[in-house]
Amino acid sequence: MVGSEAASHFAAPVKIKQMEKILLRNIDVPEFHRLAAYESAGGYRSWRRVVENMKPAELIDEVKASGLRGRGGAGFPTGMKWSFVPKDSPKPKYLVCNADESEPGTFKDRLLMERDPHAVLEGTLIAAYAIQSHTAFIYVRGELAFGATQLESAVAEAYRTGLIGKKIFGSGYDLDVIVHRGAGAYICGEETALLSSLEGSRGWPKLKPPFPATHGMFGCPTVVNNVETLAALPWILERGAAAYAALGTEKSKGTKLFSVSGHIAKPGVYELEMGYPFKTFLEEDCGGVPNGKKLKGVIPGGASMPVLRPEEIEKVNLDYESVQAAGSLLGSGGVIVMDETTCMVRAAWNLARFFAHESCGQCSPCREGCHWMEKIFHRIEHGEGEAADLDLILNISGNIMGNTICPFGDAAAMPAAAFIKKFRDEFDAHIAKKRCTVRRELE
Amino acid sequence: MDPVKITIDGKEINTTKGKTVIQVADEVGIEIPRYCYHPKLSIAGNCRMCLVEIEKMPKLQIACNTQVAEGMNVLTQSPKVLAVRKAVLEFLLINHPVDCPICDQAGECWLQDYYMEHDRRESRFDVGKVHDRKRTIFGPNVIFDGERCIKCTRCVRFCQEITKTNELTVINRSDHSTIALFDDSVLDNPLSANVVDICPVGALTDRDFRFKVRVWYLQKTPSICPGCSTGCNISVETYQNRIARFKPRINEAVNSHWLCDEGRYCFHDLAGGERLTTPLIRQEGGLVAATWEQALQAIYAGLKGSPSIAGILSGRNTNEEAYLFAKLMKRFRADAALEVFYQERKLNEVEKILVSPDRSPNFRGARAMGVGSSDGFDALLRRLLSGEFAAAFVVGEDLTKAAEPEAVRAALQKLSFLVVQDTRVTETTELAHVVLPATHFGEKEGTYTNREGRLQKLNDAVIPPEGALPDSEIFARLLELSGESNGYGSPAQIFASLAREIPGYENLTYDAIGPQGIELGSGGGAAS
Repeated sequence: MVGSEAASHFAAPVKIKQMEKILLRNIDVPEFHRLAAYESAGGYRSWRRVVENMKPAELIDEVKASGLRGRGGAGFPTGMKWSFVPKDSPKPKYLVCNADESEPGTFKDRLLMERDPHAVLEGTLIAAYAIQSHTAFIYVRGELAFGATQLESAVAEAYRTGLIGKKIFGSGYDLDVIVHRGAGAYICGEETALLSSLEGSRGWPKLKPPFPATHGMFGCPTVVNNVETLAALPWILERGAAAYAALGTEKSKGTKLFSVSGHIAKPGVYELEMGYPFKTFLEEDCGGVPNGKKLKGVIPGGASMPVLRPEEIEKVNLDYESVQAAGSLLGSGGVIVMDETTCMVRAAWNLARFFAHESCGQCSPCREGCHWMEKIFHRIEHGEGEAADLDLILNISGNIMGNTICPFGDAAAMPAAAFIKKFRDEFDAHIAKKRCTVRRELE
Repeated sequence: MDPVKITIDGKEINTTKGKTVIQVADEVGIEIPRYCYHPKLSIAGNCRMCLVEIEKMPKLQIACNTQVAEGMNVLTQSPKVLAVRKAVLEFLLINHPVDCPICDQAGECWLQDYYMEHDRRESRFDVGKVHDRKRTIFGPNVIFDGERCIKCTRCVRFCQEITKTNELTVINRSDHSTIALFDDSVLDNPLSANVVDICPVGALTDRDFRFKVRVWYLQKTPSICPGCSTGCNISVETYQNRIARFKPRINEAVNSHWLCDEGRYCFHDLAGGERLTTPLIRQEGGLVAATWEQALQAIYAGLKGSPSIAGILSGRNTNEEAYLFAKLMKRFRADAALEVFYQERKLNEVEKILVSPDRSPNFRGARAMGVGSSDGFDALLRRLLSGEFAAAFVVGEDLTKAAEPEAVRAALQKLSFLVVQDTRVTETTELAHVVLPATHFGEKEGTYTNREGRLQKLNDAVIPPEGALPDSEIFARLLELSGESNGYGSPAQIFASLAREIPGYENLTYDAIGPQGIELGSGGGAAS
């Protein structure tokens, strides 16, 4: 397990155990965003080896063997995603790095972009080569302006030194990289909405099928990979798939970044080997809940994942399967910690408000349902709730789940239902007493 | 086309690969409710109304975007599907104002219909509704009510994909999403009012029609648009013996689902205004009312023995009328110069989708009936203007609009005898020696042949005013006066006569012309 000392202004100093870092290995090196620093640490060696010595199919097999899974939230095997791109398509192919990190409670990609942009870029190049794309895009969330600037500088440096452009390393392979800034819509982190936005259209998710691998950007074969996924590639190519696959659990390989925020002594971005015990992580590595307060709930994978009660995380390990077995999802690894002073009604309303605001408005259940839930949470929080409201929210959430164009509907519905199911007594008390019981008692 | 066998609600269906579940269901008459799906537009998949259960798929699937596959088992009436329909309807209705009593769409609204069929619950929504723009004018023919809109984007896709004029888009996000015009654009393309037809709810209504009549009072008569020779299939919708609106009827061989704005609103001009209800004969001091007997006698006397006659028929006259007109004029003079009114104009790219360059829906049929014995309408008009004819019989057209008005007036004044048959007083009727009150397209039955050679049926939607006679009856009576007592009666009887004589129309029977018409020479109805 590794932590990141003063990794960003989110991170407090944390204890570092003996484990080799993959994603955060150079995160504290001063000026590491510069090409010279990155290259002196061995940067772009993987890229050179890929272009000079590897066939795309070999590269795909290598990444498949590493067991790397998408770090954007869905955890889809990366090598397999690449292999869906048709090899004989006459159309251009596109690789898109999804740097639209917007999930509340998640700030890991931001750190990589700001402190190690060349690793993100090198991963992007390797992935582009795997699918034989000659144009790669890095789609950066509008608010992450500094990250975008760092990436733009990295791309400029790479062009100057011939790492990208025409006939890279004297081979016949050409690759252009374009850094594109989004306008700040949460939905544009959803891969097909991102593609719509990149195409110049409204950021609306597209219907699937067809899938981006065959009909993505401008109807051409496209792969969209998350920043963290791509940033792991240089290491995997450098050390080999087996070294990566040796880390983690049977189905969740390697390491993953966790963004820890909320009522925790040492918030920040941590890199953990998959399968690390959740409780140990929170209590020992992150220093536990501060000020002698008790833990009330924790969201393990970003705001759209179901909240867990303290007793539910007792035996949970931080890997895809274990968190899923506990009734939530690892998602983006955005860990939001809430102590006993947190009003769960207010927390639920806060999240509902976010999703109601960010729904793209395209399909009926999400467009109408998210605001409906938000309005009911609002009235419960403001002492005007009724006994039937909780079942109504659960019903609305059930009517949204699985019935929408994209996963946003589920992302809004799951936390709403989880908060009510797991903290029902608190909601009941709120409705019965027409006020917040948590904060009043504390005062 | 690879054959595929699927099952929908226990019914085995043989179909072909590449089709979607909703297409196959439509073909076999299994109704899957939908809002955003339209067979002529791209798949949007946003309303979620057509969610169906497909065996072996964990989630419900939208029928509009799911392609059939061998052995697929589709359930459209399972408990899960029925529940999700209720859910989707509830979502669509929570922010809807439910102002049906003042909404023009009431009675033909898909929200009303599906609510009655699939939901029928009290609303559970008791928090504030979202408000949106009301009465927003999108263009000369279309007005928008944002609160009634379900954001199915049919209108947006129509303007993107059919007219390619891109006036509309979706703006804002979440439940504040709404349809809007792009800055500085106006929804005024030549097909703009089709968005009203395809809007499944009361969001887009027709500025011409709205607030005139509740739709359940309308009587609907299938007919043909009299606007041009495309021959778009329409439903003439009337209330209290007045035409209230035209709606397109689907005919893939002609107009698909569409109708152009010019055609849609042409009834105001063609059927409106003060009607002529009595024949007029020129006396000292002007035109004075006469009986039909007197007027017909005067015409017979005026045209018989005239040294040269020009006959001009309107492009809106039916085949049956044209057939009798040609017969009649030739009885007066075998060398009578006959033409059907025909003038072309330039069309823009959007108009070309549907509109023909003329305003003569039956010019092709009329010419086939023998009204077209000279070198075309323009040539005949030039000869008329140069004073070549002694007499003329003009039906249903104001010739002062066909050329320089002064020149037309001067030429018509020089004629020794001018008969004008029309529905209204025009500058041309003012110059006539005899004026006959006739009927318009909506008051008569008959056939039109469109510019592609498709024979289609016109039906009488309204009753003509007392005193006016159908053109065919006028011609038949004049033929009788001139000695031909053939007893031409109904359009069906006249059609039977012309089908014996006119090349290309042989063996056709009036009753065989169905609601979609018959392509001439296709053998349809001419099987023997």
